[in-house]
Amino acid sequence: MFGLGKPKQVTEREAEGEIERAYHEIKQCLRVTGINLNFRTWAGYEKFFPLMWDAMRPTVETRAFEEAADQVREEAVRAAEALGRLDAASHVRLGESQAYQIKAALDLYHYVNPKLLVFTSAVKLALGGEYRARGESGAVTPELIERGAPARMYPMEMVSAEPEDERLSRLFDDIKQTLSLSSINSDYRTLALWPDYLEAGWGKLKPVTGRGEYKQSADRLRETARSLARALPISATLTRQRVEELGEDAGEIIQTTEKFEQLLPSLIINIALFVLDWRAPEEAVKSPFPAAPRRKANREQGGVR
Amino acid sequence: MNWREFQSMQRVAEIGDRFVSYADEGEGEPVILIHGIPTWGYLWHKLVPALAKQNRVLAPDLLGFGYSDKGDRFDRSIARQAELIDAWMEKIGVERAHVVAHDIGGGVGLRLATLFPRRVNRLCVMNTVAYDSWPIEMMLQLGHPESRRKLSASAAVKMLKQALKQGFATSPEDELLDGILAPYTTEVGKLSLIRDAAALNTNLTTEVTHLLPRVNAPTLVLWGEADVFQLVKYGERLAWDIPGARLVRIKNARHFVMLDQPDQVAEHVSAFLNGGQAESTRAS
Repeated sequence: MFGLGKPKQVTEREAEGEIERAYHEIKQCLRVTGINLNFRTWAGYEKFFPLMWDAMRPTVETRAFEEAADQVREEAVRAAEALGRLDAASHVRLGESQAYQIKAALDLYHYVNPKLLVFTSAVKLALGGEYRARGESGAVTPELIERGAPARMYPMEMVSAEPEDERLSRLFDDIKQTLSLSSINSDYRTLALWPDYLEAGWGKLKPVTGRGEYKQSADRLRETARSLARALPISATLTRQRVEELGEDAGEIIQTTEKFEQLLPSLIINIALFVLDWRAPEEAVKSPFPAAPRRKANREQGGVR
Repeated sequence: MNWREFQSMQRVAEIGDRFVSYADEGEGEPVILIHGIPTWGYLWHKLVPALAKQNRVLAPDLLGFGYSDKGDRFDRSIARQAELIDAWMEKIGVERAHVVAHDIGGGVGLRLATLFPRRVNRLCVMNTVAYDSWPIEMMLQLGHPESRRKLSASAAVKMLKQALKQGFATSPEDELLDGILAPYTTEVGKLSLIRDAAALNTNLTTEVTHLLPRVNAPTLVLWGEADVFQLVKYGERLAWDIPGARLVRIKNARHFVMLDQPDQVAEHVSAFLNGGQAESTRAS
């Protein structure tokens, strides 16, 4: 089962010290409005988490990382397109504001989930010794992208993972069972803000997740992400040995990371399927939030020191 | 009408990088209903059908409230909210409207009437914040940045639900309170409400006090007279300061006067907006 249920997730509200610091940097560097399940789970390993983030942060801020995620997103949209339309929205009565917010929420996950997959693959490769063997990246200074969540990005608002509402509770149980999750993902907790829509969407999506071509697409997407992650410059400080030196259970962390990598491609395709209900494929393949280059500091521009 | 039905009525307008959700019902001279804290447009669900018989009724969720943008990256002061209403009116093509406003929404209404007078046709304020009547203690506590850590979303909602009951003369049903607090049941919703509370600032009403005698809009000051959050003495002062303003006291009503006595409120507001005058200064 995904997430393993161990250790306890660390929510943004609970985060303190180094984890709080890392959560702030994650939101700024990944350009996102909230902290996803991956990070909340990894943060349960409190010594591993800052090590992992500090090793990954320089990579996450590069244009190469952003473009890798863009490739994953594009491939996911093409795969979703081939699977056919869900047509979930037409089965639900939604007001204008509700529809607007659903689209905005989908854009948020359509943007961030591919980044999470590339990130997760890179962490897995690092813990497997891939980057240590290859050594540090070359001397060329990589292009950096701007920090900070885009101004129009929807907040990562979610209902409780254990909702009091019986209908939602049943729906979450069904999603978890079908997708082999031990914790319900952020995406579905956000879509549960509009329970009629999530129920209709899941009703359409569930049969698709059992199809052979869906599973093949997910496998291909995982391979694409791994291949892209392999090409990224990752610090050699993130190694299994270092994790063990910190007294953390490296085997369990690797297992957790592998589970994330296993699951994320399906989640990305699922969101792409939802997105295609609202946007044309040629629009959906583009990043919803293109990143501008990092603005140079005044000092480098010759300004006042 | 339950809160889900109200939510599904809402339209949306983008104002710069932010978005505003609003109800838009009926036809006729536009009237804008502005809620307070910790509520949203749903506050007006009993008044909307009555007013929509003669007017186009617009009920926005202020920025950071209800189902408008709740991102943690903008100012939620009543000064900003008044500017937002001005920009939103421009966006939806409403040049001028009657304004009916409650609680901190009343503070927004007073700023509109004093600083954006071209936007306000008639003004009705209900149990509004004014002068230095606010923020109340509970909101000061809620607005402390540490509330984010100290209070889970469910604990915050539980606390607010208890507090809201003091705002009613009648005993509110759970469904009503749940509807009022529905947008704030998530961590994002809770944090947004904390930021809303942190933005409450006495100065933003005291700075327009000297302008009240220059308000041109015909004004009705309507008050649930048993309000323990905003005392009726402030209503009396407003009615004295604003030229020609009339004070209507509603008996057996507290802060949420439009929910305690919806029929009386609808009658007074409808008569006032459509040219009639509130007949007396004390309604039974």
